[in-house]
Amino acid sequence: MHLKAPEHQVAGHIAKDGKPGPLVDDKGRFFKPLQGDSRGEIEVKFYESFSSNTEVPDHIRRYFPVYHGTQAVEGSDGAAMIVLENLLSKYSKPSVMDVKMGSRTWYPEASEEYIQKCLRKDARSTTVSSGFRISGFEVYDHKELSFWKPDRKLLNGIKVDGVRLALRKFVSSNTLSDTSSKPDAAFASSVYGGSNGVLTQLLELKTWFENQTFYHFNSCSILIIYENESIHEDGARAQVKLVDFAHVHDGNGVIDHNFLGGLCSFINFVRDILQSSDESTDN
Amino acid sequence: MLKVPEHQVAGHIAKDGKLGPLVDNQGRFYKPLQGDARGENEAKFYESFSSNKNVPDHIRGYFPVYHGVQLVEASDGSGKLPHMVLEDVVSSYVKPSVMDVKIGSRTWYPDVSEEYFNKCIKKDRATTTVSLGFRVSGLKIFDCQESRFWRPDKRVVLAYKADGARTALRKFVSSNSLADDSVPDCAYASEVYGGSDGILVKLLEVKAWFETQTLYHFNSCSVLMVYENDSGGDERRAQVKLVDFAHVLDGNGVIDHNFFGGLCSFIKFIQDIL
Repeated sequence: MHLKAPEHQVAGHIAKDGKPGPLVDDKGRFFKPLQGDSRGEIEVKFYESFSSNTEVPDHIRRYFPVYHGTQAVEGSDGAAMIVLENLLSKYSKPSVMDVKMGSRTWYPEASEEYIQKCLRKDARSTTVSSGFRISGFEVYDHKELSFWKPDRKLLNGIKVDGVRLALRKFVSSNTLSDTSSKPDAAFASSVYGGSNGVLTQLLELKTWFENQTFYHFNSCSILIIYENESIHEDGARAQVKLVDFAHVHDGNGVIDHNFLGGLCSFINFVRDILQSSDESTDN
Repeated sequence: MLKVPEHQVAGHIAKDGKLGPLVDNQGRFYKPLQGDARGENEAKFYESFSSNKNVPDHIRGYFPVYHGVQLVEASDGSGKLPHMVLEDVVSSYVKPSVMDVKIGSRTWYPDVSEEYFNKCIKKDRATTTVSLGFRVSGLKIFDCQESRFWRPDKRVVLAYKADGARTALRKFVSSNSLADDSVPDCAYASEVYGGSDGILVKLLEVKAWFETQTLYHFNSCSVLMVYENDSGGDERRAQVKLVDFAHVLDGNGVIDHNFFGGLCSFIKFIQDIL
């Protein structure tokens, strides 16, 4: 089995300083190291529960990575890893964005220390104000023929206008590192719009969240992926996926109002970009 | 001649020389402008809202009508103070059952003082606000069996967990005795919560507006539910009103995701009872 570090990871832990990071193989699988202090356990418990939960409709299942159990992997000190579908394996030049959903990333069951840490981060970012924050993104520049990624520290400090700009940049084709030219949002309708676009997928998810009381997806992200290779000929193949389930807890008969509120806010931001780009192409 | 409202379930009460709202016999509610900018903020909201052309008419019906500010003899004897004049939402009811539900998984908001933030978050975590996205602030239900109003102690209401909130919502539409531990029969659930003009339909209309409105953030606002128990009348006349706008802020192009999430959760609780 030939394992290597994933190419397009935009958020979360990376393999650094001897600490294990995720790996991918050449068969479309993603190996995520089990995080310490029960988080890995919670994530596995979620995937086990979710994959066997017959009440999750099929059309919702597509928004979650396929789970392939856990495995001890050589070279990682025999530590167990979660084996998942590699969400990027079917893309050759993917633009990827990770959006952490919810107006709070903490939850009642967490430790006081963790709650305080989250509160600080939530207040500093757009989490409290907008119901979500952009954790990271990487976008392909069609002019420079290379990927561009904003500085992580810069991203952490953005406010609402910065979010709008990032969501425009994410679907633009023009030189992104050049701050003088405005992002053209050339791919807004192919990525965000259309009968299979991001907006349609998010709206499907929203309907499920208005009723599902199985899980509370604390601190989870929505990953948005689309293909840049031959985007004009073959379309963007935009995909929405939920990821990062280390803090998921039982719903206990209550809907995940925190995730739902944030999701609805995010949907509005995407819709605004779609509408403003539609208007500019009409001119 | 102004008097203390009979059916107030939450908020400051004008009793024993305290400053609180008053009502007249013409369907108006006089709310004293509270100190420290809150009263001013609430009046400012009402001024803005009443003249905001972007609010659809059918949504306007879920807000008390605003009649400006008037100098009125205060309930605590401190002389004439400015009071907001509002529609008295319960004035047309003979025996109203009333419930006040504070909507949102947090009652604080960005840029408040640390003191206010700490006070809010403590209360939010101790009640069902964080876990359910709403909390019952007060209730007064007409008990048909006992033929009088049942009003649990405020401390009991604030101590509700998910089951307590569920039980309160069931009791709200029940005909059997409320004071004891008997299982609420939810006899009026379909008349009050259900039907083409019931509470659920109204909440869903409000929800649809909140999916896209970016005009206001209704921090710490409540949904007031009212219905008639008077056996003389035929209809329940179930009503939903948004109240308490002391902490409303500009939406600034972002939806009120905090209120929206909590409202959806509250709607689910009502749907489960139906």
